[in-house]
Amino acid sequence: MKRIAVFGYSIMSLEVIKQLNEEQYSYVFIVNDEAEALLVAEQGFDTKIIDFRNDEAIKSVGIGENIDILFCFYPKDSDNVFLTISARALDNELTIIAIVDDPESAEKLLAAGANKIIDPYEICGRKTHDMLAKPDITDVLDNTVFGRHDLHIAQIEIPKNSALEQTETGALLLAGTYNLILIGVVDKVSGGTLHFVIDEKEHTLNSGDVLVVLGPARDIKAFKEEIEAVTSA
Amino acid sequence: MKMLPQLILALVTFQQHSPTYKKTKQFFYNLLEDPDSRLKSRFDKVMIASVLLSVFLLIDEVDKPASSFERWFEHLLIALFILEYVLRAWLYNDVHHIILSHHAKALYLNRPMQWGKVIKMIIAKKIEYMLTPLALIDLLAILPSFRSITLLRALLIFRLLKLFRYFKSLRLFAEVLESKQFELYTLVVFLSFLIFIGSVGIYFFEHPTNSQQVSDLFDAVYWSIITVTSVGYGDIAPQTTGGRLVAIGLILTGFGVLSFLISIIVSAVNDKMHDLRENSIYAELQRYKSFVIICGFGRVGQHIAKQLEKHNQHFIIIDNNEINAMNARRLGYLVIHADASKNEVLINAGIKQKASAVLCTTGDDVVNVYITLTSRYLNSSIRIISRANHPQNVKKLYQAGADNVIQPFEIAALVVAQYIGKPVAFEAILGVIREEKQFIMETLSVSAGSMIDGITIASLDFERRKLMLIGVVSANPAHRKHKNSYALKNQHFYFKPPAFFLLQPGDLLVVLGREIGITYFREQLKNSTPKESKR
Repeated sequence: MKRIAVFGYSIMSLEVIKQLNEEQYSYVFIVNDEAEALLVAEQGFDTKIIDFRNDEAIKSVGIGENIDILFCFYPKDSDNVFLTISARALDNELTIIAIVDDPESAEKLLAAGANKIIDPYEICGRKTHDMLAKPDITDVLDNTVFGRHDLHIAQIEIPKNSALEQTETGALLLAGTYNLILIGVVDKVSGGTLHFVIDEKEHTLNSGDVLVVLGPARDIKAFKEEIEAVTSA
Repeated sequence: MKMLPQLILALVTFQQHSPTYKKTKQFFYNLLEDPDSRLKSRFDKVMIASVLLSVFLLIDEVDKPASSFERWFEHLLIALFILEYVLRAWLYNDVHHIILSHHAKALYLNRPMQWGKVIKMIIAKKIEYMLTPLALIDLLAILPSFRSITLLRALLIFRLLKLFRYFKSLRLFAEVLESKQFELYTLVVFLSFLIFIGSVGIYFFEHPTNSQQVSDLFDAVYWSIITVTSVGYGDIAPQTTGGRLVAIGLILTGFGVLSFLISIIVSAVNDKMHDLRENSIYAELQRYKSFVIICGFGRVGQHIAKQLEKHNQHFIIIDNNEINAMNARRLGYLVIHADASKNEVLINAGIKQKASAVLCTTGDDVVNVYITLTSRYLNSSIRIISRANHPQNVKKLYQAGADNVIQPFEIAALVVAQYIGKPVAFEAILGVIREEKQFIMETLSVSAGSMIDGITIASLDFERRKLMLIGVVSANPAHRKHKNSYALKNQHFYFKPPAFFLLQPGDLLVVLGREIGITYFREQLKNSTPKESKR
């Protein structure tokens, strides 16, 4: 189970948590005052009231120890930059996701060490355009992959010594035993670019390559288990 | 004698029902009157050039005989002017409507048709047209060519006035003056009063002692006008103290009147500037085949505009906020600075015509609901996408008539959630949707009678076509037996349909592939579709 520290209480932070699978993540909410703490506690989350400007206080939350992912969701960009810099200094491996208000701050956040920048307005603008340009496709994806239905897009990494090593992607396609569609393979060697399986070029799988598949959760899980089982055998 | 009325009635009934007649009249309307038509704009340019050329030729003829080319050109132009005049008179109203409505009345009342009254009405209507200022100018522009009447050559000036018809900006100036009618009228009355007092005064003081210069009242009026407008040629100058006092008074008040006149015109032009700018925007919109209306140029609106611009799609922005409107204008976008919740604003923006979608993207949910409702009321079939800033308002927006509701924070949260679990997969699918990769996801529809209507997935052989079938979207109940179906709004999405899945008309194939492959397949489908179902 991964532990996430959420800095800043807003619609956005609650929405993210709603979207994430409860079984895979645990949270600690960092809020400004008692009133907010009460609100968050009502939703059933751990809360802490600390000053993010103080390194010791950040450490006390678990950054540098048991926190895997950090959400910087403060409304002010400067606060998010400061928090990102402080946290990155404490933990090099931490995944830091920050929201940005002014698009100009995106680069500053990246420079401060954030892994992913989220500009809600930009995402919303793009989404609206997708809806306009490709209404059918966005409708299908919104209702299935991004929606409540049990159809997911997943990435499955080929482990070391897997039986799938040296297999051609074409051969994988033919294996229609799973109720899955293999969209493509991310090749570790060629710098993480996605190769679509319908492309003419055959791709030979290596350990570390990532398969991007589409299908119901049950089938994805079964496929994952099978791959891992083959390895240990 | 009875034959003639019968014949006329038959003729007007034919006019009323003949599509050719209507089409012809519409064509000439587009050519001569429709301010938004391209045809008219071209016709106007040709006419401006011809008028200017004809005036130059007429000036050239003043002191030497006309060459054969000049005569030939003059005849042609006059023929064109006369034809234009007659056509405009024809377009002014529909004669057959008058006749037919009278005929219907006569039939209803069971009494004979009063032809005299009808003819009077027709003539009255046409005279009404002939007396409009522009029609008078048209008529006067034709007259200078009748060389025998030398006086009429002075009317050459009217030919230049004819340019009013063809220059939009000249017409606008006339409109500006018209809008300030009351102020100008007041000014003219005051000015006349001033000139009257000045003329009487100067005549009274100067005529007895300086009769060489002020010999009659006309000289006095001439001097007053020259003085009050501060032109002052100096050909008549007051010699007496009384005359000079009148001059001082006239000059000082003249300044006031002049500045009053200028301020009236400047303020009127200023008022019209806004309209003028808006008119040019509407004219630009008329040229597009379709466009999107973006209501609100806040953060979300800006990003949408950027995306649309990137994909070469046309759009118009409506924003009530001065700063937002200015920002959009600075970026070179088409902007209407107005309240998008007003019916008139949306109608002017083309919601009932060429607009393909309305996007309500203001930061205020109340405003978004109101604009959504207004848009839906004005156009029941237009696509409306609205932004909800608070989750509790999503339902209200759907109730107001939105087709889709987007919540910035929910979508952003989804991106975060997807990124945490599976960054690569998520980026991959986003790249596909946004056509950033070479591969795209598209839908292909199954038309009745096309080559894929009624065949199975297996016989389609997607692999050979280098396409990947992700699924099929269909509302057809025949497919319900298949597994892997996911409910959409009022249809189902069948993920990875089995080989024996039988395609039905109206089904949508969701395929992944290179753009070129998908386009080729789409072409094949289109060509194999029988003509009737294409329509």
